[in-house]
This record gives sequence, C-alpha cells and structure tokens, in this order.
Amino acid sequence: MNREPYSITAGQLAAMGKEQIPPELISNTHLIYSSPATLAFNSPGAEGFGVKRAGLAIPGSVMLLVAPGCCGRNTTLLAEMPEYHNRFFYLMMDETDIVTGRHLKKIPQAVEEICQSLPQMPSVVMICLTCVDALLGTDMERVCRKAMTKVDIPVLPCYMYALTREGRKPPMVHVRQSIYSLLEPMEKKLHVVNLLGYFAHLVDDCEIYDLLGQMGLTKTYEISRCSDFEEYKQMASANFNLVLNPEARFAAQDMQKKLNIPSVELTRLYQLDKIQNQYHIFAKALGAVIEDQSYYDQAKAAVDVFRDAYPDAVFSVGESCNADAFELSLALLRYGFRVVEIFGNPSAENFVYIRKIAAISPETKIYSNLEPTMLYYDCSQDAADITVGRDASYYHPNCINLKWSEDVQPFGYAGVKLLFEQLLAACRRKEESK
Amino acid sequence: MKGLRKYLAPFAPDQSGASAVLSDLGGMIVICDAGGCAGNICGFDEPRWFLKKSAIFSAGLRDMDAILGRDDRLVEKLADAVKKIDVDFAAIIGTPVPAVIGTDYQALKRMAQKKVDLPILTVEATGMEIYDVGEETTWLELFKVFAREALPVEPGSVGIIGATPLEIHSMDAPGQLKEKLQEQGASNVYCYGMEAGIDRVKAAASVEKNLVIAPSGVKAARYLEEKFGTPFEICYPLAGEILTERLEEAELTLEDLAGKKILILHQQVLANSIRQAIRTQPDTDCTVASWFMLKKDFKESHDIHLTEEDQFIEYIQKEQFDIIIGDEILRNAVSDYTGVYMNLPHFAVSGKV
Repeated sequence: MNREPYSITAGQLAAMGKEQIPPELISNTHLIYSSPATLAFNSPGAEGFGVKRAGLAIPGSVMLLVAPGCCGRNTTLLAEMPEYHNRFFYLMMDETDIVTGRHLKKIPQAVEEICQSLPQMPSVVMICLTCVDALLGTDMERVCRKAMTKVDIPVLPCYMYALTREGRKPPMVHVRQSIYSLLEPMEKKLHVVNLLGYFAHLVDDCEIYDLLGQMGLTKTYEISRCSDFEEYKQMASANFNLVLNPEARFAAQDMQKKLNIPSVELTRLYQLDKIQNQYHIFAKALGAVIEDQSYYDQAKAAVDVFRDAYPDAVFSVGESCNADAFELSLALLRYGFRVVEIFGNPSAENFVYIRKIAAISPETKIYSNLEPTMLYYDCSQDAADITVGRDASYYHPNCINLKWSEDVQPFGYAGVKLLFEQLLAACRRKEESK
Repeated sequence: MKGLRKYLAPFAPDQSGASAVLSDLGGMIVICDAGGCAGNICGFDEPRWFLKKSAIFSAGLRDMDAILGRDDRLVEKLADAVKKIDVDFAAIIGTPVPAVIGTDYQALKRMAQKKVDLPILTVEATGMEIYDVGEETTWLELFKVFAREALPVEPGSVGIIGATPLEIHSMDAPGQLKEKLQEQGASNVYCYGMEAGIDRVKAAASVEKNLVIAPSGVKAARYLEEKFGTPFEICYPLAGEILTERLEEAELTLEDLAGKKILILHQQVLANSIRQAIRTQPDTDCTVASWFMLKKDFKESHDIHLTEEDQFIEYIQKEQFDIIIGDEILRNAVSDYTGVYMNLPHFAVSGKV
C-alpha cells in the first residue's frame, strides 16, 4: 500500500484544465477525511462563523436551535463567549418528533417561554433548523409566522442544512439572506452604502471607507457595526450594496427585489496591481475619480519591508484563512517568494489563478485537505518556512505560522499591509525565541 | 417545557459515544453524515483527535444521496478509501440523516462486506440519544465481532471496559487505573479502547476478570461473561482519590461531609463509587443523579434519572442539598443554588476534563 498523500503539481493541474479536475480534488467523489485541518469544512461553526454565529449577526437577536441534540453540541463553547451569553436556546428533537412532526407545534410555545425568561425582549428570534427538517420538508416560514403571533417580534428561519452545502444555496448563503430579510423599504439616501458579505467588520484602517467617502458615500453600514436593531434597519436606506463575498450575492439580489437596492461586487485580492485595477474600474463605473496611491504605496512598502528581511521565504498556503488560497499563493509568487504547497479544493473559478501559478511555479504541489490519503501526510517534514492558514499550520506545526483567520476581515490594500506586517512580526518572534 | 433547554447545551450524543469507543482501535470510522456531525464528534467530543491522527471520515452525504437512498455510493467510497488506507476494520456510524431516511444498517453492512475484505461494524446511532447509548451498542458490537475465540486465561489479568474520554474523570485515568489495579495485585491491565488496541479486544477471552467503569460497558461485560465465563466487577477504583482532590479544591475535608445532604451528578459508576467513598463518614445523605444511564441493578431507590432541564432545576430547588458534586457547567441551570458546588468535570457534559 502506497502510504503517500495524493498531490498534483500546479503545472499538471493547469495542463489537465478545469474540465478534468482529478476526483481526488473533488470532495463529493470520496469520503471526507476528518483532521483538524478540515474542521472548518466539516463544522464551520467550530472556527470562525458558522450558521449559528452568523444567524446572530442581527443586533439583539437570539436563536432557538430546533434539532437533535447532536446538532447543538458544539454550541457549548460558543455559549461561553460573552457576546453569546443568553442567546442560544435548544429545542431537542427525539425520534417521535421525526415521525409525527410534533416538534413544530412546540416551537411557538418555546419561543414564548424563551422571550419571557429574558430580562429584555430580543429584537428577533432566529429558528435554526438542520438536516432533519430539510429531509422532512418542513414549512418553517409558516411555523415562524405562528410563533410570531405569540411574541409580537420577528421570528425568522435560519437553515443549517449541511446536506445542501454543495448545492445552489448552501447554508452560508442562506443565512446571509436571512439576516438581511428583516429590512423594510425606506427612503434612499444617496450617501449611504452597505458592505455585505462578512459577519464581522473590515479592519478599521481599510482604505475602502475613505475611497467610498471620496465618491460621496460618506455613510457605510456593516451589520456587525450596527449597535442596535434600529441602526440595523437603516441599512434599508442604502443607495447600493457592495458585495465583498460571493456568498452574499443572493442576499444582495433579495435586497434588489425587495428594497430596490442595486449591488456591485468587489473581490478580496492580495495582488496589489489587481486591487488597484478593481478600485479604479469600480470608481469609473460610478463616474467618480479616486485617489488611492498612498494606500497602494503603504501596502507595497509593507511587502518590500518583509521581502528585504526575508527574501527567500518559502510558503505553504492553506484554505482555512481569510483569502482564496490560490489567489494568495499567486500574489506571494508574484512578489518573488516561493510557494511549495497549496491546500485547497480547486474549482473552475480558481483556474484563472492556477494557470498563472503554473507559469511561475509549475512544481507547486496542490493537496486536498479532504482526500482520504491525507492521513499519511507527514507532519514532521517542513517543506516551507512559513505557513498561512489554520490548516497549513496543522501540517507544519514547527513552522512559523500565520493563521490569518481572525473574525475581523482584511480587505484591499489594508489587508495586504496587515498580512505582511503580521508575517514580519511572526518571523521576528520566531527569531527572538531561538 | 419538555425538550427545551435554556441554560444547558446538549450533551455528547450517541454517535460521539460510538466513535469514542472505536477511534483508538486502528479502524476506519465513517460517520454517515453530511459533515457537521463528523465535525462535532472530532472537534468537540474527541480530545485525542487533536493529539494524534485517526482514520475518521465523513460520508459527505448530500441531499440527493439522502433522498435517493444511495447507499451504494457510500459503499463505493468506502471500498475506494480502504484500498488507500491501511486499517484493521471499518465502522459505519449513524447520525440523524440515516435515521430520518430509515437506512437499513444490516443491508449496508452486507453490501460493504461484499466489497471490502475487512470486518465491518455498523452502529445505528441517531444523534438523538445520549453518548452512553452509542457506547453501549458499540462495546457490545465490538466484542461480538472481534472476541470470538476462547483462549487460556492469563492469571491476574484485568480488562477495563467503559473507558472513553466521555466517561473518565481525566485523560490520565487509563494510566492511573492501571497503576491502581497493579497495586492491588493485577498482573496485566488492558484498558480497551484507550490503551489496549484491537488485538487485545480479540484476546478479550484471556483476561481473568473485567472491570466495568461506566454503565455503558455492562452489556458487553455480561456478554463476555456468558460467552467465555469471564467474571466482572463494577466500580471506578479512583473514586477515593477523585473525591480527595475535589475536596481539597473546595477547601474541605472528608470529615466535613459528615451529616451532609449531598448530590452527585456524573455517570452512574463513577458517581456510585464516589458515594461509597463519602459513606465512610457518618450520617451522610447521598443521592446520585444522572442525565445518563441509570442501571436499575446499581441504583438506589432515591437516585434520580434526569431528562429535562426544568426537572433538574425544580429538583435542586426542592431538595436543598448542602453539597453538589458535578460538572461546573450544570451550575448554569441552578445559578441561585447557594450551597457548596464542587466541580467534577464530565467531558460528555462540558467538553472539558
């Protein structure tokens, strides 16, 4: 038996093309290996934002998880975080519930009891449902409407249907639709824009706030910066939505239909020239002119400082981080570093990066965290100096690691600047500890 | 209201119990789920998973697999993985998805056996039961599948059944148990599922006696008694040490327990053994309460099985215990309790030891 993990080089993969991605890199063709590197895939809520945390993005909301006990198990840890204290509740299903659907009749009463037990009425009750109700075909909209009559506040469904994760509307897409669905049409304000896509805000020094300001968009709403429900409701006054994560596209479409708010999409990138292009195209589309050179220069300076200090840095890049592993790898290669490994499941959309990676570094190996033979990945061998991403750090525990997976989101030039500042700090720490 | 939890998150489910029994035995474990259950089992209920590699997989079920009942696809994936991974057996553990679609585990087992040249175990977990139900089924299935041969008895040897991270008081418990039993005269001690591997499970008939340290192990011990005549004893031999440690933490002495009304919340065998240690003091009124299995044979008449959060809260308010010994997280439900609360971690409750 060959005890080697499956990998393919970027050169080989690019040559095969996006129509012939090997089955080892396609998750639905094999069992999914479960290692700490795959935790974010199997259980998004275990690290960062899964459906449960995301569903509580609306200020003042609480969540009732209606599910078998197993689905709420990891919430023990979340409920200990101060911001989620008194916000998670559970209605546990048993086998009789599955057969008779009687749990649905209990939901209105449970919602009422929860609201009565809280010192302050919540702004909204999110009813989180899991695979069981997906299979039962529960009409949760109806159940929520019934619950609403008991408490006189909004009650919303929130679908944690893991079975649909590779479908058209995976759970993280659905939850983004849910959290903006309470907005009601209101008068538009020309200077207001919403940033959609993340459950935590962008880094405070992100240039996007200033650039939007230069375009006359002086008020920016992000759901996580809304201090209360009233402020959240003001998001309906936006002139347009800026979608920063493709998983928010459906939410933006909903807002277009219901609130008449159009949207524009920007991609998170780590290649400075591409970031600049994107901003300028965006500004041009709005008929505006922006001055972003100083931000570009600051980010470039951070790259240069790191490159001057560690010109020969070799990277291993994972997918469990605030980046597209392939785009980030390409950026690192274009800045002159080596990338020896990428952990990720390439999709057709990634081929735009994979082809360029192959041109610069055809020997870069691509692994899928999920493939069964990853059991044999030798974690004692350090192929790189630095890992980026939680998953990459699992494979190389002795390397310098930057998890790059904070809740607060890096974006644009500020994201590049912060990345290289943190890489520099991580390398310096390692040197000092020697 | 029945089923509603306002203060306590759900405890470890049956699928976690099944996985806990098997995960250290060198087999391939396939969680028959869409991914979230495998994530919860590994990332929350299996502390060993972070420390060493284990062949745990998610079946990666998708909606059409469930709707169309595509068990053949699962078996194909399993057969493909077995070609690439060196394992001693394969186990398929159920979750709510197969429970809802009514998966026939016997048929699944037969299909897998035709494609894979390895022993196959299936555990019909549903995600709706508590961890010890899954453990009980799995311990029994494990010994039925692997301990088939009667062997000469190794004098002085002891097999420990029931040890999983979800049942024991500390991850050091297997070593401590071994030491304790050896002090008491045992020659070799085999802690199934935590230190002793699948070969020792196969040789289960050779031990002189079994020690059951959790109620989930009782059925398997009875099976081994019937099949090989191996006697068994039920107790948690470290209870005295655990009690001393907890008392020190609470700045109390064993003598302080005299005349006190005490509640112990844990798995039944550990709780019973602690009660026995407490009863060395005069006039103690000691009750065991458990959210988990409470076997009739080892239960005292006033012991109580807990199923609902409201029931727990009312019980604590009514009984006015002087001392409660239980996992700290349970205190969230009885925050107005004013007596002494001694923390006795239970991984299946709080995910902490």
